[in-house]
Amino acid sequence: MRALEIRDLSKAFPGVLALDRVSLDIGPGEVHALVGHNGSGKSTLIKILAGCETPESASSILVGGDRLDLGSPQSSYQAGLRFVHQDLGLIDSMSVADNICLTGGWQTSFGTIHPRAAAREAARALAAIELDVDVDRPVGELSAAARTGVAVARALRPDEGSRTAVLVLDEPTATLPMHEVEKLLDVVRSVAASGIGVLYVSHRLGEVIDLADRVTVLRDGRKIVTLQARDLSQADLATAMLGFELEHVPALAATRGGESAEPPALTVEDLDAGVVDGVDLTLERGEIVGVAGIEGSGRDQLLPAIFGALPRRAGTVRIGGRTLAGAPGPRSSINQGIAYVPADREHQAALPTLPARENVTIAGLGSLSRHGGIRRRAEREEVTGWFDRLDVRPPGALEEPFDSFSGGNQQKLVLARALRCDPAVLLLEEPSQGVDVGAQARLHVEINRFADDGGAVLVSSSDADELARLCRRVLVFQRGRIAAELQRSALSEASISHALLAESNGAPA
Amino acid sequence: MSGEVARKRRKGISIGLDRFAGLYLLGLFIVVFGIWKPDQFLTSGTLHSVASAQAITGMLAIAIIIPLAAGAYDLSVGATINLSSILAIWLQTAQGVSMGLAIAIAIAAATLIGVVNAFVVVRLGVNSFIATLGMGSIVAAVQTIIVGPSQPVSPVNQTWHDITTTTIFGFQAVVFYLLILGLVVWWFLARTPAGRYVYATGSNSEAAHLAGVAVGRWTFVSLVLSSLIAGVAGVLYGSLYGPSLTYGSSLLLPAFAAAFLGSTLVVGGRFNVWGTLLAIYALATGVKGLQLVTGAQWLAQMFNGVALITAVALTVWNHKRTVATRQEESEIEDVARADDRVDRQGSEVT
Repeated sequence: MRALEIRDLSKAFPGVLALDRVSLDIGPGEVHALVGHNGSGKSTLIKILAGCETPESASSILVGGDRLDLGSPQSSYQAGLRFVHQDLGLIDSMSVADNICLTGGWQTSFGTIHPRAAAREAARALAAIELDVDVDRPVGELSAAARTGVAVARALRPDEGSRTAVLVLDEPTATLPMHEVEKLLDVVRSVAASGIGVLYVSHRLGEVIDLADRVTVLRDGRKIVTLQARDLSQADLATAMLGFELEHVPALAATRGGESAEPPALTVEDLDAGVVDGVDLTLERGEIVGVAGIEGSGRDQLLPAIFGALPRRAGTVRIGGRTLAGAPGPRSSINQGIAYVPADREHQAALPTLPARENVTIAGLGSLSRHGGIRRRAEREEVTGWFDRLDVRPPGALEEPFDSFSGGNQQKLVLARALRCDPAVLLLEEPSQGVDVGAQARLHVEINRFADDGGAVLVSSSDADELARLCRRVLVFQRGRIAAELQRSALSEASISHALLAESNGAPA
Repeated sequence: MSGEVARKRRKGISIGLDRFAGLYLLGLFIVVFGIWKPDQFLTSGTLHSVASAQAITGMLAIAIIIPLAAGAYDLSVGATINLSSILAIWLQTAQGVSMGLAIAIAIAAATLIGVVNAFVVVRLGVNSFIATLGMGSIVAAVQTIIVGPSQPVSPVNQTWHDITTTTIFGFQAVVFYLLILGLVVWWFLARTPAGRYVYATGSNSEAAHLAGVAVGRWTFVSLVLSSLIAGVAGVLYGSLYGPSLTYGSSLLLPAFAAAFLGSTLVVGGRFNVWGTLLAIYALATGVKGLQLVTGAQWLAQMFNGVALITAVALTVWNHKRTVATRQEESEIEDVARADDRVDRQGSEVT
């Protein structure tokens, strides 16, 4: 019997058919991946499974052979569907045990919690997915993969009222550092091994192929195909997702940068900040250089330190040969030709309530000022230009608040904000986080174009594939220092991953 | 699903559903009470008295929307406006200071309160809600220390009263001061880079900082401005109504109610001057009309309390709704345009 069977699932929103007669099934113990880019209907499908949306009447869902009462979260739970959403819903300051008991309730007598019973129950839930963490530790102290694991353990916690049939994981690895992904995949494998069907949603095609038994591709609300993961290539999967072949960003011209006498675009000498420890690096004009490194290697602190968002203990930063003047800080850096796109869009880049227009221009209002006021028509024209250039969707939505845009379009707006400052050096952190492949290609085209026009780009990313496609060389960070430099000829997702893992294995525990 | 259809649908939604709700409400009140009590309600006297009676509250509301736009509360403005008016009167009648100097000292004292607020919030990092709540209490104490517990007498100087009560086209001058203040603050918030920085700070201060905005400076400025405006409003209150030791705190809630209700009006989704003034006058008109009909004394308090809560509930609800629909559309458009994206990228790469 199938753990989950979805038949002819349709869902119409006013003017849009979000799902169009989608059918798929998952066997017990099967990991079934669901891929498709933003707007393909994945989220709607998950919401229907969770009972948060009611599908059209011709649809039916069977869990373990029994028909599911649609549109009710309670009956989804009763039927044995469990969910781990991208936002894990964990409370960082509370212990692992308390987090696990938070949804199901604590064992109490006279209203008082039994701490030991809670710990025992949590330990049992963790053991069931073979995850080894200390139940007394606050969740905030755990690694990202362990946190996701705790959320999985909580979702699968035994409940006398209903047994678990299917676990739905929505983008569980989107924010995980590369070296932790494998740990989480192990957790997923052990869940599947216990006979639970897993519906696994992810943008990361490599891990999907690695983990899943079968892959279902959604596009424009329709199921395109269900494939056996075994013989699948990433390129084929991407083509199925997009309906067209992913463009190839051309290799960089060999002559760019290098031997000319002009000073390098960016020179960093002896930089000391956070865990970054005495780093030297040089970027020529027109160069795109990647930065890779596992969590804690200093990779994620390098760019903020160069930009001046993270205080520097020592070191100099030169743009085009000139040492940065004044106290280091975002304003001073922007004025002197550095622009920065931070990794955490929601917290560090979004002005969520302000219109897209103001989000794009906020970092450089000087050029739009006249008599103390802002030239509004000029501003609108300029931002319309950026909408066209970066293909921001929906077009012309200049006055809509930033947080009403989809992830990919938000990222384009943030990039437009940086590019608009006309920087000599562009610092990009996770430039295509949470962005579908189509929008990622679009962003890459724009980054390449910036470099072709003589700009220098430093890209820090946990996505080895992205670095391999984008960069001319990649600096691999290890314990705050540059441990290796991979040149263009040696660049591939595998070589970068290998360099990271090789280094980290060599590190003292 | 084509991009065309999606775009048409967007237009349908973007028509302002409630941005002008305040205006409709105001119109409704005027029509209803105009029909109900035409003799008392539909008079120029009612118009002029409502306009003057709300002018000081309006100024206070405009004062607080500046820090609110920057993401900071200023709860001390009630005490500040109070201190400013008492000081301006007491200096004249008890200390024999000239009117001009008394006004200058009162406004300077208010501005100083703003500087202290700003220092505590920006430099010491105390949450603005707590800092200004405490400061309000301190200012009330300082007022008693300086002036003593008994109310100073009102200045006999006619010029002092003429400042606000001179009538122009039947309206007292204070109404025009409110309009001028409104214009200046509107220009500052909506039309200058400084205003943009203030809003950016309020929207997400860390993101604003990384975009090069001096978030500390703009929070500082916004808190000083709110106190400065409260100081000016206090002087005008003293001129209009004479000395009162404790009126300030009673203006605080109506001012916040108007600011929050105003943030859903005219320019939806952010604190703005015209929305705030519209909210104040819509509420005041409703209260006035109902008072004419029923004579009940509790109406203003009830109205303001309900308005404050309703306004915030509306904002939350409206935000949820627009974000949900718009994100969906943004994604749909992504899909709709996937095809021509390929062609154009192909040509741009080469």
